[in-house]
Amino acid sequence: MNPKNSSTDSPTINPETWVDHYGDYLYRFALSRVRDPSAAEDLVQETFLAALSARKNFASRSSEKTWFTGVLKHKIVDHFRKKAKEPSGDNIISGTEALDNLFDQKGQWKIKPAKWDADPMKLYEQREFMKVLNDCLSGLSSRMASVFILREMIGKTTEEICKVLDISATNCWVILHRARGYLRYCLEINWFTSISTED
Amino acid sequence: MKLWMFNCKEVTRMLSDSMDRELSFHQRVGLGMHLLMCKFCSRYQKQLLFLRETIHLHAARGEDIEPFTTLPPEARERIKRYIHNVLDKSE
Repeated sequence: MNPKNSSTDSPTINPETWVDHYGDYLYRFALSRVRDPSAAEDLVQETFLAALSARKNFASRSSEKTWFTGVLKHKIVDHFRKKAKEPSGDNIISGTEALDNLFDQKGQWKIKPAKWDADPMKLYEQREFMKVLNDCLSGLSSRMASVFILREMIGKTTEEICKVLDISATNCWVILHRARGYLRYCLEINWFTSISTED
Repeated sequence: MKLWMFNCKEVTRMLSDSMDRELSFHQRVGLGMHLLMCKFCSRYQKQLLFLRETIHLHAARGEDIEPFTTLPPEARERIKRYIHNVLDKSE
């Protein structure tokens, strides 16, 4: 490495400063998606390893943070791909049987959605709400969480998710439907109904 | 008429699907008619969109506004050492 380029202003040029500059950010990014601290640590390390071998190709026009985030996203997708191959106890649509109880036999609402009085921007700033949301996310089965996080927090299309996790498109849509239904219901009973009691 | 009618359970499935793919013409018409008449399914739709918006906000900015979670010290040191060793070898 060329010492005259080792200024802390250019972390890409001096990888010794990467962890201090981007470690916490990347760790939080990974943790909020894979929801497992030791896996998140490994992903940060793998991201830096990949970045070390690719740093000569880094185009200094793009922001370093964006660059690292892009590498990490690939690593997270790989993480879910590997995880999908592991035998897991959970059935594809397990853990959300409660959803079926929301409807009667004719498919009409039995437990009707309550009125939510909420502005996402404002709620998002409330730590208590985000904690409830995170707890609800933790309630998803591992397979449902993989699909939902890839779709909504990594921004993959269902086609891409099908390839990564080796599942059919129909399966993917069913899983997303159940994940959303579960999360909606979880937020309703753990947050909204304790605030709004209106029908 | 019956052909165009979906029940609430079917409608919730279509509402989710519509966030990931384009529905068929038949589904779009049936869904639209149902939503005009059913305030609970309309509510469900708004709530799914709320959920998506909140998760997207969380995904886009969560790392910046959540200052309390940090890379644990042992991992921090381990990764620093690791980078240092790789750089040493590549000198």
